[in-house]
Amino acid sequence: MQILTQLIFSGIALGMIYAVIAFGYQLTFATSDTLNFGQGNALMLGAMVGLTLVNFGLNYWLMIPLVCLFGAFQGAVVERIAVRPAIKIKSEFGWIMSTIALGIIFTNVAENVWGRDDLKFPSPLPESPLHFLGANVLPMEILVVIGALLMMLAVELFNRRSIYGKAVVATFNDRDAAKLMGINTGLVITFSYALSSMTAAFAGVLIAPLTLTGASMGAVLGLKAFAVAIIGGLTSGMGIVVGGIILGIAETTTGFYLSTGYKDVPGLVLLLIVLAIRPSGLFGKAAIKKV
Amino acid sequence: MKTSHLLLAIAGVAALLLFPIGIDNPYYIHLLETIMIYAILLFGLDIVVGYTGQVSLGHAGLFGLGAYAAGVLVFKLSAPFWITVPFAILFTAGFGALLALPALRVSGPYLAMVTLAFGTIIQILINEMDFLTDGPMGIKLEKPMLFGHKLDDREYYWVVALLMVLALVVVHRILRSHLGRAFEALRGSPVASDCMGVSVYRYKVYAFVISAGFAGLAGCLYAYSEQYISPNSYNFELTVLFLLAVIMGGRKSRIGAMLGATIIVLLPKLLDDVVLFRYVSVALAVLVLATAVVAVRRQRATPAQMAIPVVGSIALAGLAFWLDAMTDWRLSIFGVIMLFVIYYLQDGIVGFVQKALNLRPPVATVAAADVDAASADAVSTAAPGGGGEDVLEASGVLMQFGGLKALNNVDLRIRRGTIHGLIGPNGSGKSTMMNVLTGIYVPTAGAIAFGGRSLVGRTAADIALSGIARTFQNVQLFGEMTALQNVQVGLHHSFASNLLDVAVSTPRYRRESAAAVQRGLGLLKFVGLESFATEEARNLPYGKQRLLEIARALALDPQLLLLDEPAAGLTAPDIKELLAIIRKIREHGVTVILIEHHMDVVMSMCDTVSVLDFGQKIAEGEPAKVQADEKVIEAYLGGST
Repeated sequence: MQILTQLIFSGIALGMIYAVIAFGYQLTFATSDTLNFGQGNALMLGAMVGLTLVNFGLNYWLMIPLVCLFGAFQGAVVERIAVRPAIKIKSEFGWIMSTIALGIIFTNVAENVWGRDDLKFPSPLPESPLHFLGANVLPMEILVVIGALLMMLAVELFNRRSIYGKAVVATFNDRDAAKLMGINTGLVITFSYALSSMTAAFAGVLIAPLTLTGASMGAVLGLKAFAVAIIGGLTSGMGIVVGGIILGIAETTTGFYLSTGYKDVPGLVLLLIVLAIRPSGLFGKAAIKKV
Repeated sequence: MKTSHLLLAIAGVAALLLFPIGIDNPYYIHLLETIMIYAILLFGLDIVVGYTGQVSLGHAGLFGLGAYAAGVLVFKLSAPFWITVPFAILFTAGFGALLALPALRVSGPYLAMVTLAFGTIIQILINEMDFLTDGPMGIKLEKPMLFGHKLDDREYYWVVALLMVLALVVVHRILRSHLGRAFEALRGSPVASDCMGVSVYRYKVYAFVISAGFAGLAGCLYAYSEQYISPNSYNFELTVLFLLAVIMGGRKSRIGAMLGATIIVLLPKLLDDVVLFRYVSVALAVLVLATAVVAVRRQRATPAQMAIPVVGSIALAGLAFWLDAMTDWRLSIFGVIMLFVIYYLQDGIVGFVQKALNLRPPVATVAAADVDAASADAVSTAAPGGGGEDVLEASGVLMQFGGLKALNNVDLRIRRGTIHGLIGPNGSGKSTMMNVLTGIYVPTAGAIAFGGRSLVGRTAADIALSGIARTFQNVQLFGEMTALQNVQVGLHHSFASNLLDVAVSTPRYRRESAAAVQRGLGLLKFVGLESFATEEARNLPYGKQRLLEIARALALDPQLLLLDEPAAGLTAPDIKELLAIIRKIREHGVTVILIEHHMDVVMSMCDTVSVLDFGQKIAEGEPAKVQADEKVIEAYLGGST
């Protein structure tokens, strides 16, 4: 029982990271029907830049806003280079392939700049576990959960309350109508990419002290966040949190009871099952196609 | 096929077969063998990417699956070659179905995501299931035995070459058949495909499964070719290379696939040799610069447009001289090449060359004799029912979108053999009614019976096959296909041939195919478009496009034909032609529902007219009676309150 509680706790922490990345997918999917297939690489770059800043002697907490800024910039670059031209020529193939291409370039550059080995990210909080419900919980895991929730809340509040956020929501509802109302939808899409990569970079510095930091850390995280985004529904905020936690726990328990080698498998299996039974996700709404 | 093409093909195959006799170096033989194996995979990948327009990021995984299917069979059971090959194909195709069935239920980037996940998982599984695959150690196997004789390198090369030519022929036949037309159609207009009885979902899955089968064959051949397989060969990088090959070579082109295979096999070798790469990059920069100068001079492009490729290629050359070894930057270079191809070389090298030399892609020609022979009366006669029998009966149909009731309790009875007008102001629910009747929308409530069977909840393709055909308010033709091919998509239901029939070109398939050409030409003749048979649909003038839609709908042999504003945007002489065609359709016993805003058309053609307003039926009856109805006048012109 104690072990199970333990697994559930680490599953929740892991799941919240998936949820934050999946949230990033939702942001860009909402405004432009496109996804950044290099989202995992945005996370990796955030962690790498964060590590460099910390190694320069910067405080962990002061480093976070700088990493967020970097993430936003990186997202805007991705949108300008890879997504905008594809939206212009209305090519789904175009944006999928070009975001993948950029992702490959980012990974490769990171490998050449920071090396191919995994690096240790110093933890900003004490590394001795707390005891809670008979299980050990790392303070960093609690920070991950709180940080992830705060980040999503902040973006949601911004979208709902500010006039800029309204522009984002309007673009989500009807891109053409928003354009006719004088909203610069191109800018909104760039902005959504900046936000999306910012959340990913933030997730990167949150998860880095718990795992190792390396050029290849992003790919698998990004992939599983896809699964979470689909399991929860590409349009539901609630869905990704629940989906993230489900997947996180499924993974830690599979890793423990079956084999760590298999821990990436439940993601795909869940993904296929959800698509087969409820293609719009557990919490998503089915879209109405228009003729 | 033209004689020159045939000679060229024979020369190509002969050169391929004679290569190992002329050049004895095993390194080059193996290189060419790898290119051919990749080409087999790319033929298949092109079906998914080029024809149906979906993105698969799992083809490296499928390739690996094929290799391991063969490897494990040999390793555990010492299975012979003639068992491993078909098994690898079927096993991989089965996995393809497992992925495609859920992933393609929804449109959007889902297939890309699911296949990406699959590609990662398959590597994990191969690594972990070491009781079967020997894990990271990999499997060693020898060149296969054939007829009791162990093949040497050169003989195996011939086996691969023969199988590639075979794959080429089969892919070519599939893509030219009704299956290939279905793949192309569902990309051109998914809605229209469904309404022509070609289920978009089913044929997308079909395409992916066929494609997976080719990946399995390629993987199996690869295992014997390398004689050693290990899990790490089938990674994400390979998937990306495959996609790069398809788009760089040129989509929808077998030559493009072979070219792409050559590029992705040679490119890594090129990057390993930095001196050679420097020469090539400088040559490339000069070439791009020259192209840019010419393009700007001829005012085909602005300097700003050409700046990015020019600067990019010069930067690449600079990079080549700055770095001592390219190997570490290999992936970045692939990435840059991909971006370049996606935005500047969209049609691939084959498309670019065709454009530069002003070659038109080959169009299936139609023999003049066929056109003359085609009967001008190819419209099938709908089964005559007893007079006054209802062909369609809808009662209490409710269609709700959120709070909006687009259709509110509408009853509609269509008598067999009549022309039934459906009119009403804009937004009154006419087109929604069409969409409900053809299965594009599932009504919120209400019953619809067609020929005694309920339509509610059945798929659009199923309804179309049961005898309801339609045209669209905003024309939904398959733009890149010829007029004849458009009609042939409508004739899809007349094919009983399966994949095997197509692959070996059985008499049954040839008979059906010839019949479809005849019927197709006949239907084109019926609407007066026989001279446009080989013209791409998007190049036809608007009025002709509308007629082509009618011909395509008639190809379904419908009992009931739904025409959604067929006269919209037509000139007066065109309308006259249209009226004559509609009358002729009725003479064949086909019941017609006509949505139209041209009142003279409605009043002169229809036997009965129903009027919708705000989703409700406000009047019904003979045209003259409806025309005089006060409610109708009020709905159209506004009431005097």
